[in-house]
Amino acid sequence: MYSTLYIKIRRFDGKKEWYQGYHLPYEKGRTVLWALTTIREQMDPTLVFTSACRHAICGSCAVTINGNAFLACKTSLDEVLETFQTPHLIFEPLKNFEVIKDLAIEWEPKMEKMEKVKPWLLPTEEGSKELGFKQSEEDYHQIAAPTDCILCGVCTSECNQLAVNDGTYLDPFILNRAYRFVVDSRDGSPEEHIRPVFENELWKCLHCMQCVSKCPKGIPLTEQIAFLRQESIRMGEVNNQGARHAFAFHDDVRNKGRLNEMTLPIKTDGLVNTAMRKVPFALRMIKKGKINPFHMPKAVEGIKGVREIYQYAKEVGE
Amino acid sequence: MRYAFFPGCTLESAAEELMISTKKVAAALGIELIELNGWTCCGASHIQDVDDFLATTINARNISLAEELKVDKLLTVCNTCTLMLRTAKLKMDKNEKLRTKVNEGLNRSGMEYKGSVEVTHLLWALIQDYGLDNLKKLVKRPLTGLKVANFYGCHILMPPNVMGFENHMNPQSMEMVAEVLGAKSVDFEQRLACCGFHAVFPAEKEVMNLTGKNCLSPKAAGADCLVTPCPLCQMQLDAYQPDAQKEFKEDITIPVLHLPQLIGLALGFTPEELAIQRHVVDAIPALKETLQLQIV
Repeated sequence: MYSTLYIKIRRFDGKKEWYQGYHLPYEKGRTVLWALTTIREQMDPTLVFTSACRHAICGSCAVTINGNAFLACKTSLDEVLETFQTPHLIFEPLKNFEVIKDLAIEWEPKMEKMEKVKPWLLPTEEGSKELGFKQSEEDYHQIAAPTDCILCGVCTSECNQLAVNDGTYLDPFILNRAYRFVVDSRDGSPEEHIRPVFENELWKCLHCMQCVSKCPKGIPLTEQIAFLRQESIRMGEVNNQGARHAFAFHDDVRNKGRLNEMTLPIKTDGLVNTAMRKVPFALRMIKKGKINPFHMPKAVEGIKGVREIYQYAKEVGE
Repeated sequence: MRYAFFPGCTLESAAEELMISTKKVAAALGIELIELNGWTCCGASHIQDVDDFLATTINARNISLAEELKVDKLLTVCNTCTLMLRTAKLKMDKNEKLRTKVNEGLNRSGMEYKGSVEVTHLLWALIQDYGLDNLKKLVKRPLTGLKVANFYGCHILMPPNVMGFENHMNPQSMEMVAEVLGAKSVDFEQRLACCGFHAVFPAEKEVMNLTGKNCLSPKAAGADCLVTPCPLCQMQLDAYQPDAQKEFKEDITIPVLHLPQLIGLALGFTPEELAIQRHVVDAIPALKETLQLQIV
């Protein structure tokens, strides 16, 4: 192992930004938070970062290391060194947040944004604050994973859509919060949580799997996004690019077993929009021989069985 | 070596050059690929947004087609196909109740998911099964002087509990293959970025922005071309490059190759034999210059 680590930290004083390096003697079995605390206590008292509980409960100490977000108190320094195979580490604040100072980030705008999905219980008529609620064990387990969220911001930092979005798209932890109330048996108005989720670019998730891969609590964020999309479809929101695109795949597999790439843009965007926007793309694909406009996929062998699967899924899903 | 082969829809339509180059490379390496008879689209990370049980079941059907061939592994050359098939497999293998429910549906057409076949990607198979030393022995034209930017694509790495071939935060498999072929891998900011392909319709503006960044970053690092193990990343980075260019002042032009095309070049095939001329951004001039190939 290494005897000394070289940790470069992105500093910010409210006006200017710079990188500052620290030589830290290596100690086995430490956490990332230990490294930060040691630097502040022994080398540089001006370094600003946030932390509190040291037990992955308060969610305040997440930072990025070599571009990847980690919860500092939960992350073993040895594992980080093993991952990156170098004693040179670059610490930066979480991405997709405003930075206050050094590694400290601003949560206020995120909390305001979260209010859009009504992140509180809209009780059913069967229960109330005074009477309480009855919830089965099975129903309780529906909210077990989403309530593990500690608002650490790791998912936000890793979200590839947020990196290029104008700020409308909801952070994965906000989608998780909406999901948490949608599936809660005590909540009587799931649509009031889903509606704002749908209206704030639900279909812009890029399916990159970063959030679910980095969440320190292992919350199945991408499955939740799929569920929220299904629910928006159930509410009748089928006339949008995202839903139409998903249905194009869904329907093509039932019809022929395979995707028809010639009709996909038309199914997603409609004939007029496709003609206006996608023609140059299509022409260049045809010119290079990438798409054969006359290729019509034949039904695959066993298509009857595929359609039986659709029938079966419909029966058991109801 | 024998694998069941799942081409995926892209190889049949918009990326036939990947079908051509995969088959040539496999044959040259002595790898037998047996295409599944009656495979369907994997769902392409979309069908679960309509019905997740259905998405699992159609892939259980795809995997059971491979099981009937009595092979150990089902091989793909697409990141997303690999992820969809492996996701279904993991769910089936760890959840007895789900497996019984899925099999009830498959039984209607006399099929059954047993769980006997692994799902792999060509990139993994070359390292894990074939061996890079063996690949190296067959290199006829080392790609000396060619600077490649390896663009992994998300779905060959994440989520790690489903994929898990290598560390998703610092993978090395592409660099290992490039090295054996004699090419030089360049490090670049967007190496592990998302191509955005799966949301190119609902998030067109954002994805074009991403595409531009994904092209500029390897250019800045001095790469001659991007290489990717995923036909969807390839399509996004190559075929949409002219659309992305409109959003950028700087020239973003960079050729994008499929991984089997890079391997094929080192095995001695001409760019034309690997159908490299089919790409929207012409890769052939750069390749010919760097590799001093004879102009045909």
